[in-house]
Amino acid sequence: MSEVRLSEEKDGFALAQPNHPARARNAGPNLKMWSIGSVLLGLAVWEAIGRSVSRSLFLTTPSEAVSTIVELSLSGELERHALVSAEAFFTGYVLGCSAGLFIGLVMGVSRRANAALSPWVSGLYATPVIAITPLLILWFGIGVWSKIAVVISLVIFPMIINTDAGVRSTDRALIDAARSFGANPLQIFLKVCLPSAMPFVLAGLKMAVGRGLIAVVVAELFGARAGIGFMIQQASEVFSMPRLFAGVLVLAIAGIALTSMFSRLERVLVPWNR
Amino acid sequence: MPSKLSVRGLSKSFGALVALDRVSLDVSEGEFISLVGPSGCGKTTLLRIIAGLDAADTGQVVIDGFPVSRPGTDRGFVFQADCLMPWRTVWRNAIFGNEINGGNNAEAASRTRDLLRLVGLGGFEHYYPWQLSGGMRQRANLARALAINPKVLLMDEPFSALDAQTREIMQTELLRIWESGRKTVVFITHQIDEAVFLSDRVVVLGRRPGRIRETVNIELARPRPFSIKRTPAFVAYVDRIWGMIEKDVRASLTEELTTH
Repeated sequence: MSEVRLSEEKDGFALAQPNHPARARNAGPNLKMWSIGSVLLGLAVWEAIGRSVSRSLFLTTPSEAVSTIVELSLSGELERHALVSAEAFFTGYVLGCSAGLFIGLVMGVSRRANAALSPWVSGLYATPVIAITPLLILWFGIGVWSKIAVVISLVIFPMIINTDAGVRSTDRALIDAARSFGANPLQIFLKVCLPSAMPFVLAGLKMAVGRGLIAVVVAELFGARAGIGFMIQQASEVFSMPRLFAGVLVLAIAGIALTSMFSRLERVLVPWNR
Repeated sequence: MPSKLSVRGLSKSFGALVALDRVSLDVSEGEFISLVGPSGCGKTTLLRIIAGLDAADTGQVVIDGFPVSRPGTDRGFVFQADCLMPWRTVWRNAIFGNEINGGNNAEAASRTRDLLRLVGLGGFEHYYPWQLSGGMRQRANLARALAINPKVLLMDEPFSALDAQTREIMQTELLRIWESGRKTVVFITHQIDEAVFLSDRVVVLGRRPGRIRETVNIELARPRPFSIKRTPAFVAYVDRIWGMIEKDVRASLTEELTTH
């Protein structure tokens, strides 16, 4: 809607009908400038404060964090940690999201499954399961599997809840329309409920990115031999702020990159969902 | 003439509410009939049972001599609201019925293409429903129902969500499309003039319980130009039918006022 209004102002006339998708999707250059400007301003303020506090043990400047990233990357240390974290993240993410998708679909289709599972799901979703991370490390050891377990336990719930809500919010009228053509229950599920749930599923996947990253880092803070979280933990112990912020920055960039990838994917997979 | 569609002693209750009470109706091949009546007369229930979307308590729906109880390709349903799949383009919506029934072949594709042109959507095949106006969406809805080449077309207030002008245009469009194939049509509407304009026969339903009150044959020559709506004969039909349902409409109105 905002995009449409923007082009209205620019062209100076009201549009008679919704724009062509390609056009409506083109967020105005104006808005993008505001986003970039805001980020640059924030970094500049951070830089200024960092410099005026001069060589503090508690803060660094963005320029220093970036140069530390370059340094760490040239030595190969960053890649080593990032790879360890990425492995745990992606394995846990894929496993957790697949399981969440499956459970969500079952709950969306079967009212009995829904009644049986929803107390567990809503109970565990509301519980900060991250608190049992030490327990999971005890169970699965200090390697990659404890991290994967933490990631799964965090990404699975938004996935279940979103998928379930997506399937159940399928328009009754669309199901009737499919039935009127003689569609059987399986066809209704595949051709109506599933596509109708797609925007919800993608939103769940997107939400799971942030939670999955948190999970990896927390697991590594609690106990690990390598990984970005481990690197951050080590840096904070020796008050090496540039290293600490370098780690945080890498995580932030990974989060932004993954989330924006999903936004792009959304445009490709659910072009009808304005 | 043997009837194409015949409804025999259909009854349906929802709890204590009797929606339909022993309704019988015969529609011949190529006939266009409309069901009119106040809200709560069970006309949508009747159409849904004919479509096989709901089950009747007693009675039978017979098409070409065979009783039917489930949806099938012998009937095409055009829904009241916008029932296109938002994730499908006009084209993929239109072929939906054939896809479901495994008849998605070249012949079905070419028929669907012709139908989209017939309803005035040629060139809009790759548009999504949200990119279309309300009138265009209902055209697509009609094309989708016709694409399975049904014997009977069931239309549940298909133009009710459209603005008055679009609605009038869609009525003449529907007649034009119908003239080209002369399907058997059962059309539900609230609007008496719409029923008279379109139909060979208008079936007036009464409410609580839903029963057929009267049947009016519309003897106006076809093709009917839009101007026919201003002729005395047309107005007389509308007045006559209105006279039959006025009391019921007022009753449902006071009921709505007291319950809301």
